[in-house]
Amino acid sequence: MQGSQSTRTVSRGRAVVIYVRTMAVFFVVWALIAMWTGNPILLPSPLVAFEALVELARSLELFEQAAVSLLRMLGSLAIAASIAIPLGLLMGLYRVLDDVIDPTIELLRPISGIAWIPLGLFMFGIGNALPMFIMTYAAFFPILLGTVAGVRAVDGKLIDAARTMGVPHRAVLTHVVLPATLPALLVAVRLGVASAWTAVVASELIGAPSGLGYAIEWYRGLLMTPQVMSFIAMIGVLGYLCDRAVRELAQRLTPWAPETVASR
Amino acid sequence: MTRGVPRWVIGLMLPIALLLLWQAWGSAANNVRMPLPTKVAAAAVQMVADGELPRAILQSVTRVFAGFMVAALLAIPLGLAMGHSRAIERNVDPLVESFRPIAAIAILPLAILWFGTGTSAAIFIVAYAAFFPLVVNTIAGTKRINPSLLQAAATMGIPRFTTIRTVLVPAALPSIGVGLRIAMGVAWTAIVAAELAVGAKAGGGGSGGVGQMMFVFYAYSIELNRIIVCMIAVGLVAFTLDRLLRGALRLAMPWSVR
Repeated sequence: MQGSQSTRTVSRGRAVVIYVRTMAVFFVVWALIAMWTGNPILLPSPLVAFEALVELARSLELFEQAAVSLLRMLGSLAIAASIAIPLGLLMGLYRVLDDVIDPTIELLRPISGIAWIPLGLFMFGIGNALPMFIMTYAAFFPILLGTVAGVRAVDGKLIDAARTMGVPHRAVLTHVVLPATLPALLVAVRLGVASAWTAVVASELIGAPSGLGYAIEWYRGLLMTPQVMSFIAMIGVLGYLCDRAVRELAQRLTPWAPETVASR
Repeated sequence: MTRGVPRWVIGLMLPIALLLLWQAWGSAANNVRMPLPTKVAAAAVQMVADGELPRAILQSVTRVFAGFMVAALLAIPLGLAMGHSRAIERNVDPLVESFRPIAAIAILPLAILWFGTGTSAAIFIVAYAAFFPLVVNTIAGTKRINPSLLQAAATMGIPRFTTIRTVLVPAALPSIGVGLRIAMGVAWTAIVAAELAVGAKAGGGGSGGVGQMMFVFYAYSIELNRIIVCMIAVGLVAFTLDRLLRGALRLAMPWSVR
């Protein structure tokens, strides 16, 4: 045990070294290509891009726009989850309900959230509502389907056992079905977050007066490529952190679940 | 209560009810622009008949295939190499993992800057979007191979590339198939987004495709019925692409695809 612990820290140290080395190679290649093209609008050198990043961070603009996008995503996620999770639980529990609703879901699901943008622009205009609608839509399907699949996968013996012992219907739901579904549900939420975060950029690019997507488009219009790159990097970092946060949450809430361990 | 009624009949009840509700509500709204199921159907017939919609779809699908090919040619060999060799994986993985969280659509402004608003930018976006699911699933598939198969091949003195071709690739194929299906879905979403955004930012100018067509209906001719036709077309194409790919995969490896 002690030995494996120490080899693990050694390999972690090595991993950091390798990470830094790979990224260093990447930045050197980038710098060389930038020198070769010699066009700072087309491809600014990594140093210039880094300066822009620092500048945007110092003026807090980077964080303000990020906060706008993040809040929109959290809001949409809350709306999507509060509809999709109860609906998914019911669809998973009652076959009839699933028969009625599932085909409609399968008809709508192939239409990506992004395809709703032009119609959404009519329905909501440019503002907060459009990106939130698109993100809610994007997050809704993975959460719903994941919840349904999670409920279906609950061990029937657990439910039977609870019923045999005379546990009331409601308590079976809250004390057996829900905890057993939780791991699958959290995986579903993770997919929903990823899906919504992809949609944030597209919807803000076209239909919002603020946010990361909007900022990217704004600076592209001004041909300020280093700033464009900074915001793109921010989208990547936040996307990663959101995913990490849900995984961390999953591990806290469902430490028994094999998926959460495996996904680390 | 539902005994004897076929499941598909039950399944159709809700969509039909929703359509009727939409029709009734829309008619009551008494607004010329209000889209109605009947008007959408009429617009669909017209757009298909004059070849406008099939042309746009064909253009988008062609782009998806082109970008998809580029992604597959880069991602599958890279994934095989990364899954096979620990050294390659360790060195390349940081790069893959750094770019993976960045959505393809976020790269679009850079793509426009580098490639303009035409087909090459669209192909770049599609290739970028499809690349990551392909790499990740190819790596996963390669790693899942039974090590004794590789050891057996090594014991028998089979050359490395023959081993890769005849042992590693077939073992990884099912997982690559999953990657292909995910990548196709992502690629189709990305192309619609890219065309939409290019249409929005280039003043509706000539990149073509379904996405751009939708934007023109939004911004210039304001025809909601036609936008809805496009949305349905986007959904139908997504569904068809997935089914075709699944069929092709089943033909290629009948043992693994359900």
